[in-house]
Amino acid sequence: MDTAVPDEVLARACLGDETAREAIYRTLAPATLTFIRRMVGQRALAEDIFQDTMMALYERLPQFRREAPLGAWLRQIALNRCLMYLRSPWQRARMRLESSELAGGCAPNMLAVPGYRGESIDLERALATLAPTARAVVWMFEVEGYSHEEIARAFGRSVSFSKSQLARAHARLRAWFEPQEIRQSCTLI
Amino acid sequence: MHPDLAPRGPLGRLLRALPEEAQPPYDFHEFRRRAAAQMETAHSSRKGHLLATAASIAVLAVVLLLRLGLSPSPRIASGALTAPVVVTPAGSARPEVMERWLAGFPEDPALVRVGTRAAVTGLEDRIAQLDDLLSAARLERAQRARLDALQQERTRLLGALVQVRYAETLADAAQ
Repeated sequence: MDTAVPDEVLARACLGDETAREAIYRTLAPATLTFIRRMVGQRALAEDIFQDTMMALYERLPQFRREAPLGAWLRQIALNRCLMYLRSPWQRARMRLESSELAGGCAPNMLAVPGYRGESIDLERALATLAPTARAVVWMFEVEGYSHEEIARAFGRSVSFSKSQLARAHARLRAWFEPQEIRQSCTLI
Repeated sequence: MHPDLAPRGPLGRLLRALPEEAQPPYDFHEFRRRAAAQMETAHSSRKGHLLATAASIAVLAVVLLLRLGLSPSPRIASGALTAPVVVTPAGSARPEVMERWLAGFPEDPALVRVGTRAAVTGLEDRIAQLDDLLSAARLERAQRARLDALQQERTRLLGALVQVRYAETLADAAQ
């Protein structure tokens, strides 16, 4: 999300200019949606969080102090929205229910991954088999560069929570890539 | 693809290399439309929440007054509520007791509130309709179950009317 928004467009958008706001939307929306989808997994849910994130962006735009690029600021808003979703008691209860239903089976959202071309489809599928919290921890640690302490704070949990989530996710991803027979037994496509 | 996933670097590089969305999920105009719809929903839900809270407080106050058996103010007591009415939850009182109680309320409240008046006339209309239905059912020698159902509904409405009128009278007395 390092696409730069010209200062002049940003200034007009802060004053409420709809054309400038539309330009910002066109520039930043794809990367924002990608980021949210990586964090929460499901496309429909990602679109809901995306909508909330963009609404929050325009609401708070006049308060943007330009200490960081607008894209980074928006990414932070999106991250907070995703964490709010992942931390909600309702969502945690749902995840527990789903994980108990799926114990020993394959994650159904494997099939919901849009068909990207090339080798990356394997990694997409592997990520889709992770639980939402584990996927978010992997993404925050591996891509966003958060430390275990920061992840623990973000989730309101302990550092060992972050470490164990990451270790289990690594083990799961390794199992996905290494023994082909496991993957074949789970492939429903 | 058999990457070494253990260290932080390689997996991060692979994840960063995943393709991004090429387009937003919908265009800016659709975004604006959805945002407006969300704001509208949030606004009406807030309004509904406030109304529901106000109504709940009002009902709670009436129920508390009825439960505590607070006697009406001297003005009411000397005028309308002279009959020895036992204060019971209106729903469980006998219809004739409620009728007597209703008859004891002042005909015209000192201060007419549009909402309360509408509720009173609405309830009175529905009770009158039920009276017609009951008369017709008795003439047609309808089944006992139907007559009972109509009578129960009438009693329920009567109970609601008693509560509203009582609250109205108390409010007048407090002026």
